[in-house]
Parts: sequence; C-alpha cells; structure tokens
Amino acid sequence: MGLLAPTVLILLGLVLYPFFYAIWLAFSDKAVGSAGRYVGFRNFAYVIAWPQFSAAVFNTVIFTFSAVALKFVLGMSVALVLNQRIRGRNFFRAFLLLPWVMPAFVVYLVWRWLYDPLSGLINYALIDLGLVASPIAFLSDRSTAMPSVVVAHVWRNFPFYAISFLAGMQTISQELYDSAQVDGASRAQQFRYITLPGLYQIIGVVLLLTTIQTANAFEPVYLLTGGGPSDATMVYTMLVYVMGMVNLRLGEAAAVSTLFLPLLVGLVLAVTVLLHRKANV
Amino acid sequence: MREPLSIRATTYTLLALFVLMVAIPLFWMVTTALKSNKDLYEDFSYLPRRPTFEHFVRVIQREDLLTNIRNSFVVASTTTVVTVFVSAFAAFSIVRYRYRGREWVGRLILFKYLLPTAMLFVPLYAIVVALGLGNTLTSLILTYLSFMVPFCTWMLMGYFRSIPPELEEHAMVDGCTKIGALFRILLPLSAPGIVASAIFSFTLSWNEFLLALVFTSDHTTMTVPIKLSMMVVGDQYIWGQLMAGAVLASVPITILYFLGQRFVVQGLAAGAVKG
Repeated sequence: MGLLAPTVLILLGLVLYPFFYAIWLAFSDKAVGSAGRYVGFRNFAYVIAWPQFSAAVFNTVIFTFSAVALKFVLGMSVALVLNQRIRGRNFFRAFLLLPWVMPAFVVYLVWRWLYDPLSGLINYALIDLGLVASPIAFLSDRSTAMPSVVVAHVWRNFPFYAISFLAGMQTISQELYDSAQVDGASRAQQFRYITLPGLYQIIGVVLLLTTIQTANAFEPVYLLTGGGPSDATMVYTMLVYVMGMVNLRLGEAAAVSTLFLPLLVGLVLAVTVLLHRKANV
Repeated sequence: MREPLSIRATTYTLLALFVLMVAIPLFWMVTTALKSNKDLYEDFSYLPRRPTFEHFVRVIQREDLLTNIRNSFVVASTTTVVTVFVSAFAAFSIVRYRYRGREWVGRLILFKYLLPTAMLFVPLYAIVVALGLGNTLTSLILTYLSFMVPFCTWMLMGYFRSIPPELEEHAMVDGCTKIGALFRILLPLSAPGIVASAIFSFTLSWNEFLLALVFTSDHTTMTVPIKLSMMVVGDQYIWGQLMAGAVLASVPITILYFLGQRFVVQGLAAGAVKG
C-alpha cells in the first residue's frame, strides 16, 4: 500500500537499519571520520574489563529499581487521594500533573538549582530549620548524589503513575465498595481486595513501560551530575554518551548499549505480550 | 454516605503535602527568574524583594535565546505536521486494508515505540554525519519522525478501529473514493485523536534532549534545551537567567497541554487501552 510507504521507509531507514548498524558498530573499531574494520569481540572484552562498566550496570539497576518503587508508591498515594470525594478535585488533579507536563530538562535544571550548595533553596531551608549546620553538597558528594538524582526523577515522573492508576480506579464499580462496607470491610481490606485486583492489568503495563523508560533515563544524570562524582551516578546511557560523543569511540559505545540489549529486549517483549493479550494489533 | 472524619483528615493532609511538594520547585523556578542577583547570591530571601524582569531581558539579548526558541519552534512544528499526515495514512492503511505483512508492520511500530532512543543515538549520529546533515535542524526533524510516527500511528490505529467501517462504506456507495472517505469520514470523526497526536508530537519534539545534544553543536542550530544546559557550565551566577529561560521554555508547552488536556487523556486511553 502506497499510504504505508513513508512509515515503512522511516521504520526501515531510521529504526531497523540503525538497530543493526549499532550491532555491527559494536564489532568494529569505527571512530568518527574513519571507516571501521571488524575487530571481533575486542570492544566487548575491553568494555567489560573497565571498572566504569560495572559501575554503570550497578547504578542503572539501583537507579531503576529505587525510582520505579518510589514512583509507584507516590503515584498510588496521589491516585488514592484524588479518588476520594474532595473539593476542587479537577483543579488538584490538573495541578499535581504539572511536573509531568513541564519539559524534563526544565525540571532537572530547576532541581540542580534547588540542590546548589552555595545558594540553593534546600540548603537554606535546612539551615534555617536548624537541621544541618553547614550546606550539603548534594550532587558532588558520593553518598548523596544518587539519591538526589532519584528524587528529582521521581518528582518529575510520579504523575504518570498517578493518572494511570486514577483512571483505572474510576473504572472500578462503586457498588463493590458499597457492599464491602456493608459487610464491614476496613479501608485497608477494600484496597487489598477490590482496588488492587481491579488495577492489576494497568499496574502491569505501567510498571513494564516505565521500567524500560527509567532504565534508559539520560537527562536526570546528564543535567544533574554528568555521571559523577567519580562515577557514583554513572548509568549506562551516560556511559554510552561519554564513550561515543566525548571520547568519540563509537565501537565501544555501541558495545555498551549492545550489552544492555538482551535486558531491554526482554522487557520490550514482556510488554508486547502483555499488550497483545488485551487486544490484537 | 459521609466519610468518617479521620479518613477526611488524612486525605486533606496528604493532599496538602502533595500540593506543597509540587508547588515549591515551581515557585522557586518562577521567583528565581524574578529576583535580582543581589537577592539570589548576596542577601538571600525566600520571596523576591524587588521583582525584576532583567533576567528575561538578559537571556534574550545577551544569550540570544530567541534564535533557539525559533529553532525549537521550527523543528517541533515541522515534525508535527509531517507526523500527523504520515501517521494518519499509515494507521488508515493498517486498520482498513488487508494485505500480507500488515501485522508485521504493526508489531514493528510497537517495538519501536518501546525501543529506547538511548540504544539508537550512536548509529543515528553516524548516519546523520554520513548524510552530511551534522549540525542541522533537518537532522533533528528526520530523526524525531522516527519516534513520533510509530507512536502516533499506534495511537491513531486505536482511534480508527473504534469507528465502524460501515460509515466509510456508505460514503463509498454514494460515490466517494477510499481516500475521500479517509478525509471526509474517518479524519473528522477522529479529530480528538488527531489533536492528541499533534500535541504529543509537538511536546515531545520541543522537549527532546539526547538527539539534539548529540546532533547540534553551535549556538545557531541548538534547540532551547541544549542552549540552556550549555549555559549551566558557563557561569556561576547564571541561575536567574537560566530560570527565566526555563519559564520561557515551559510556558508554551503547559498552555498547549491544558488547552488540549481532554484530547490527550482520550488519546492515551484510545492508544493504550484499545492498543
């Protein structure tokens, strides 16, 4: 069909071709401006032996796991609150969505400023409240850098969880809650036996989709810490960027992303299967 | 049925906490942009004492941010227009025609939708350089299409599928061509989906960071996100201007979103739920 031609061209030229090209790059010594030669597994051997690579694996897992867990808890709490009969619900729903509506780069620039050790709001507030004696270098201290990046990322992304869960909650019949109340079920029991089961499918889709997105987050790290201090926040996307665009070693950069491929493809397939079960594409 | 007092108290306490949590960083962004450098760095205050627009003036005049805003606008609007047309055609073709490979295209679209840009930017960079498109806005438009088109096609497929084909068949009995039926029946009926696709494409292109960072390298071709992120490293006392820039970058997107909120929520539902 002619109508499909532009899309097929885009999919072949800008999705499939680069996808396989990335895999070829990983087996070559390609640098910017030079034609690459096949070098077998040399890039992989080099990359795996590098301490930065194990740091990236570790940090990507820690970042993804803690950010998804926090977004889930916060998003669920916000959805539960917004699902109550509260005054001005539409206003609050729109307002609490704001972090997610704002451009991500804006959010991370704002958080970088909030964390500033010299003139940042958080340090001023902590000192004024008497909680700390001297400013904390949130982003340049090894122990606080990763939690600070996670907090900024969670702030920006929890609304997606909240609106998805809220939409799911609103499809659950009120009658279920009414009859549970008649039977004397507590709030916690109603959540456990009515709300959660009603949300299972949405929770599954949201968790898988956002796990992929979180594992591939680049902006929070690039804009807040650049991967530092001494690789404390070096996630794999940042490592690919540093290797490819700063050191101009395209082969090694591609090797890093290829090594993460099995994990990501596994996640993508899981999501595909889950979505397919709901309706056939 | 009235809620027990304890439940209502908990609800409103939590709500207040969530509102504060969201409001404080936003408040800080806006007030920083309006404070004088003295209020920011020498004589700290939580509220702007002498509100001033000097940072807005400076970020536009000295940093020439208008050039970058124009770049962002050109990239986002071109990507949006092309995406809406290409995606509508593709979705129409996949949903309404039967041919071999149709499902395969549908799956590839879903795969791309889920495949992260972080995996592709190195090869895309090599391709862009090989095509001689390094450091151009065209390279951004072209590569943005590669994730907007699959996404919007997928979303529109959900929409088109929800419209009974009988409507087009009736139109064709009355002498309309198949393409005519697309333009006269299907597109008007799925206007919310079209608006949602347009808002998505515009917003995602406006906000896109990684590819813009990799592909553009001088101030005349940078989009707003890259320009602002480059300013961070330049100067210690840049925050007033940076937050002014951040406000300027957020306003169009926020307005667009709230104007089209109804459509976006419907679009997400059509794409994600009807999948």
